[in-house]
Amino acid sequence: MTTTPTRQDQFLKLLDEHKKIVYKVASSYCRNPADRPDLEQEIVAQLWRSFDRYDEAYRFSTWMYRIALNVAISFYRTETRRSRDTVAAGDSLLEIAAEGPEEPDENLQVLRELIAKLDELDRALVILYLDGNRYDTIAEILGISETNVGTKIGRIKQKLRRDFARTA
Amino acid sequence: MELDDLKQSWQEADRKLDAGLRLNTVRLYVTTLKKAETSLRRLSWFLWLDLLIDIPLVVLLGSFIADHIAEPRFVLPAVLLDLFVIALMGLGIRQLVALGETDPGEPVVTLQKRMESLRIERLRAVKLTLLASPLIWIPMLIVGLKGFLGVDAYAIFDHTWLAANVILGLAVIPLAVWISRRYADRMGRSPLVQRIMRDLAGANLNAAQNFLGTLARFEEEGA
Repeated sequence: MTTTPTRQDQFLKLLDEHKKIVYKVASSYCRNPADRPDLEQEIVAQLWRSFDRYDEAYRFSTWMYRIALNVAISFYRTETRRSRDTVAAGDSLLEIAAEGPEEPDENLQVLRELIAKLDELDRALVILYLDGNRYDTIAEILGISETNVGTKIGRIKQKLRRDFARTA
Repeated sequence: MELDDLKQSWQEADRKLDAGLRLNTVRLYVTTLKKAETSLRRLSWFLWLDLLIDIPLVVLLGSFIADHIAEPRFVLPAVLLDLFVIALMGLGIRQLVALGETDPGEPVVTLQKRMESLRIERLRAVKLTLLASPLIWIPMLIVGLKGFLGVDAYAIFDHTWLAANVILGLAVIPLAVWISRRYADRMGRSPLVQRIMRDLAGANLNAAQNFLGTLARFEEEGA
């Protein structure tokens, strides 16, 4: 199928509306912050390449989460194996304005650090939960049952509560 | 501190992020949309390239076997080489088929299982190549000399020397595996050397199989 400019415009509009998904997933899965632009680039390239296969029966955010998480988990696993091989940072695809969203909230900072310690699958689950997705949406994105989502979130909450207590 | 207490702060930070984040459209147009190279696509190119090298090799070896069908001393090493290349081709084709069925928009657990199975196929191909290398160089020497130069390796090299090399090749395989298992992390700073050693030791294969296990548990737990 030929990609017309209209298709490209449609993609860019949707990407712009949901760009924070790319940013958040990339930030959560890069051990080395210098690799974040590479991961963002990889996610957006994959979104663009797969855009013709996007089924409008699904919400765009659901499809975008799936691709972003799939690319990030694969990237993370490669990055883990080649962690000594640091890639130089390129120009970032996503930039934060001067008055950036850096939160002064210390607890949120601790939460991000604790999330970074979770394995790649639990990390996806927590991000989706904190972003306000419903259990059925999380189940749809991850490909597990809704009951399973509930069980896992309960378990992760307990773990994070314990970890918070330790850091306090 | 409860996760739900922080959910609101997380979403508040999210709203600020939404307001402050902007797309670098210049970079987006110049690099991402125009080239749109992804690691899946790169892997696909690599596999096609591999196949393009393997096909003429199989044809050449087939032709060599047909030309020397009455001479088992040439046919045997050529058949060994042919089987080796066909095995690699088979693994490559399986990976290409699997890659063709891959849709990055699939649910995370489904796609990751598919990707990890694909990685296992690739690691098996690498391991097969690494392990067979010490063994196939003598058949390559015999077939190459005869096929390209018309020289009979059996006539110019001592038979004992040829046999000793095959035996040495056989002995080197377990030794190489043992060394890589024991010293993989200490040998060389180059990530490539490290990766080859881990591939040879089967460490990357084990890691991939472990991740498949993790995915299965993630899918089943609490279901």
